[in-house]
Amino acid sequence: MLRLFKSKLFILALVTITVLVIIGISSRAGSAVNTVGNALGTPLNPFQKAVAFLESKVGGIFTYFEDMKQLKKENDELRAKLDELERDSRDLNRLREENKMLRETLNLKDQFSDYESIGGNIIAKDVGNWFNIFTIDSGTKDGVVIDSPVITSKGLVGSVYQTGPLSSKVISIIDVESAVSAMVSNYIVIVRGDITLKDQGLLRMDRIPVELDLKVGDTVETSGVGGIFPKGILIGKVKEIRQGSTELSRYAVVEPAVDFRRLREVFVLVDKTKNIETGNEER
Amino acid sequence: MRRKIVAYSACLFVLGLIQSTVLDYIKVFNVKPNLLLAFVVVTALLRGNMEGAVIGFLSGLCLDVISGKLIGFYTLLCMYIGLIIGSVNKRLYRENFLIAVFFTFVATFTYEYTVYFFSIFLKGKGDLLFPLKAVILPEAVYNCVLSIPLFIIMLKLHYAFEDAGRASRKY
Repeated sequence: MLRLFKSKLFILALVTITVLVIIGISSRAGSAVNTVGNALGTPLNPFQKAVAFLESKVGGIFTYFEDMKQLKKENDELRAKLDELERDSRDLNRLREENKMLRETLNLKDQFSDYESIGGNIIAKDVGNWFNIFTIDSGTKDGVVIDSPVITSKGLVGSVYQTGPLSSKVISIIDVESAVSAMVSNYIVIVRGDITLKDQGLLRMDRIPVELDLKVGDTVETSGVGGIFPKGILIGKVKEIRQGSTELSRYAVVEPAVDFRRLREVFVLVDKTKNIETGNEER
Repeated sequence: MRRKIVAYSACLFVLGLIQSTVLDYIKVFNVKPNLLLAFVVVTALLRGNMEGAVIGFLSGLCLDVISGKLIGFYTLLCMYIGLIIGSVNKRLYRENFLIAVFFTFVATFTYEYTVYFFSIFLKGKGDLLFPLKAVILPEAVYNCVLSIPLFIIMLKLHYAFEDAGRASRKY
């Protein structure tokens, strides 16, 4: 019996079974195993942060001279644009006031007023080539909660997948396993990541209703169905419509508003109302 | 023994750090290599199946912790890769780096296809041929190239361990 316990084959079988059980447990979102796993990775976080910081500095040096030429051109363009924007800004202020007044009279609730935004820098990317998960440097310490939406000023990035004390993992919308309920001119569609489009940073739009007259350039926003993403966050624009053999197999390629290759800083939107609920439970 | 643990932990830490940060900037054909996998292959070849399996387990755990949707998947995969490659090492002239290059290629192929099969293909999100051209072959070549410097470093470590082992046996 003792010899059995000492044999290598037995140890191997034991380890294999244990790990299989752990895989099973960790497949449930938010399970304790994932928390332990994230805690194990925490010592790496400060180093990842340091490397990410260095990268942003060193990367700047290499592109310095290249940028000079571009900057001049860009500067002229920006000046022209600034004038335009200033004019728009005046209009906007007026419209904002008007909108606020009208909203008050209609008693509409502001979607985003329930959310608090927490800033985060991307410190690590996925180690493999299949998925698009990245690590940001804000975690439970800063109040990040699992399933919170992640955005930039341009649009939707993804949602929080796992949280650790100092960092959290974000699954981006171009990941194969991500699916977001979206809205195009009042029709609900599904926008998901696709393995063949992922490298170009594009999305695939499925379940397009037959009656929807989709055009290239149409804006895609979150629909608010599904509970993770609030309504009205910009996802991107329709880039291409591909027709399958039947009317139902029609799908579209969506170009996200966010450039995933040049992503550095993001915001996590944390639902304040949810926070209060969990706070009460703890008490 | 203690020196060995320190050396391996340092390797894992540094490789894990590089894998999760800098490598994203030196992608070739939009594919990045898997340093930890190459590390497992090289270690298993030089040090045998016991150490191969242990290093495979730890490297896999490292991959799982840094990224990965499940804890344990890469762990198991890398452990078996280390174990199997470590088992053939006695039959080969292991100080030849071409052997390491060949096994890195085979291991990358197996590893990536397994990952793809279980986490993407079984969920009906892709066919079996696409990943071969787009990801697996370029990554295998990339890993092979990187396995050469890794092999040289590990060979030095291997000699150091052997010397230390011989010295400790004398006393």
